[in-house]
Amino acid sequence: MKFFLLIVKNVARNPLRSVLTALGSIVLVFVVTVVWSVLSFLNTVTTEKKENLKAIVTDRWVIPSRLPSDYERPLSEGASNPERRGDVKPLDYMTWQFYVGSLDPKKLARENFVIAVAMDASKVTTMMEGLDSLTGEQEEEAERLVAAMKQNRQGLVVGKNVLRNMNKRVGERVKVSGIGNFKELDFEFVILGVIPEPRYDNINVMNREFLDETLDAYPRTHNGRKHLMADRRLNLVWLKLADTAAFTQVAKQIDSAPQLRTPTVKCETAASSFGAFMEAFRDLIWGMRWLLAPGCLISLSLVMANAISINVRERRLELAVLKVLGYRPWQLLVLVLGESLLLGAGAGLFSGGLTYAVVNWVLGGIPLLGFFGICLVPADALWWGAAVGAATSLAGSLLPAWSARSVKVADVFAKVA
Amino acid sequence: MTSANGSIVRVLGVSKSFRRGSERVDVLNDLTLDVPEGEFLGLMGPSGSGKTTLLNLIAGLDTPDQGEVWVGDQLVSQMSEGQLARWRTRHVGFVFQFYHLLPVLSAYENVELPLLLLPLSAAQRKQQVMTALELVGLADRIRHRPGQLSGGQQQRVGIARAIVTDPTLVVADEPTGDLDARSAEEILDLLVELRKTLKKTILLVTHDPRAAVRAQRLLHLEKGKLVEQA
Repeated sequence: MKFFLLIVKNVARNPLRSVLTALGSIVLVFVVTVVWSVLSFLNTVTTEKKENLKAIVTDRWVIPSRLPSDYERPLSEGASNPERRGDVKPLDYMTWQFYVGSLDPKKLARENFVIAVAMDASKVTTMMEGLDSLTGEQEEEAERLVAAMKQNRQGLVVGKNVLRNMNKRVGERVKVSGIGNFKELDFEFVILGVIPEPRYDNINVMNREFLDETLDAYPRTHNGRKHLMADRRLNLVWLKLADTAAFTQVAKQIDSAPQLRTPTVKCETAASSFGAFMEAFRDLIWGMRWLLAPGCLISLSLVMANAISINVRERRLELAVLKVLGYRPWQLLVLVLGESLLLGAGAGLFSGGLTYAVVNWVLGGIPLLGFFGICLVPADALWWGAAVGAATSLAGSLLPAWSARSVKVADVFAKVA
Repeated sequence: MTSANGSIVRVLGVSKSFRRGSERVDVLNDLTLDVPEGEFLGLMGPSGSGKTTLLNLIAGLDTPDQGEVWVGDQLVSQMSEGQLARWRTRHVGFVFQFYHLLPVLSAYENVELPLLLLPLSAAQRKQQVMTALELVGLADRIRHRPGQLSGGQQQRVGIARAIVTDPTLVVADEPTGDLDARSAEEILDLLVELRKTLKKTILLVTHDPRAAVRAQRLLHLEKGKLVEQA
């Protein structure tokens, strides 16, 4: 205990140096924690589940995928044939239709964009990843929103960030004008509430009936001309499957279904679909994993090595005095390593906690591309930070600590004399 | 603890040399010395005569090139670094010219430092620290850090640290070299008192003639050889 107090006092003896070293550690651990959080998130979403997995059906060749609406029925049954033995049906399914509009069609600024996924309200809490596993108050809120959507087809359930960007409040009405392929599809929505799951903070959910009815009514006001999106209004279909065997069978059924040939479709697991999407960012991810994170770790070790080396050099006389008093070389080694460990692990733990609080609570997560929505820093960041701080400080202080244990008393005092 | 002839320290035919670049400097040359238990021995000599080297050899801080150093029944010159460290904790108290107290620790904690290496309870440690600090007259300064004490007071703390483990031998390397005349007198009085009341064997290296006269026996070291003075 007394030895530990000596370690603490030594760390506190030069507050400016300790604080600057700790600040360096905090910044670098922050970067490492954010990088690892993103990589961990991507790893989770691209790891295949064994059971209760979701498959995604999209156009095989065209991005963005656009499928005819009459694909819904065969896909909802996994293109199974009741007369064929061994065919498997999905446990559940959900269609996604995207809609993109702007709050101000004259000013196509990012803050005015509204991206909505049109879906069957009843599927929101049964099929949406993350929303199907809510508990407590969040689950109650999700159920309330689903009921409200069923009651009001103009209802829009918004992501937290979207609501903030729109500068609107729950209960208010918003007019959205379609842009791009959705031109001339204008809606007036009522904001029903906020999606209680951070990964959907940047998107909105609307009733597919509302979109379909508007598309169907379009010819009546446009000389019988169909809207551009009318025939291929389905973007993708999600299927819930019991296990990997069911997925393999359903994928085979869909591949061989004659009614799904024009256009041809592909059926893949969500994880593999995300993986394929991430292929475009392969080099970036490789750089994060193998250059940025290790670079930060090495820099962190060097920062620590520099600070501890200066510390040991300044205290050679003191270390020699401790040897005179009877302290063994290994005890001096532990003393220096302990100081470094305390500083590194302390700064790392603080940084891990800070990263968790700032990213999750202040920034509301790290926004990622496409389906990924928001990436949150996991609670594991607390021990990541401490472990990274401890490991890098140990690595950085090994040489200075060895030099401290090897102090030659007679040489040190000869120089003093 | 003493040898057959009653000596607590026996230095037998010790030689020590150092390298300065490519040159070899002989510091001690076939030196022999006996120090009886309870003696206050003064060592004088010009700079570079080998006084501190001899002190370091006796205190187990360095090893001779030739010869043997015995303290009590222990052959110090043959011990490993780890054995020497353990031995020093129990048997040698060191008083430095520049005190060398740890600035982050209070007077109490500085004196307690060597005791942390011994199997003592907190209560036993406290008792020994307080006894040592009372002996040097600083029981009322236990919470002061070195920076808050005068040079004389710091040296007293240094002496308390040297005697707190009740060592066989106290070695003092110019303990008055950094002090004003009055503080130096007080420190020398204290060392004499330690010899009288605690029967400590004291080896004192000094340039100071006032310090030298306090020693019971005074040796002069010149060109690596000892010369006894009247």
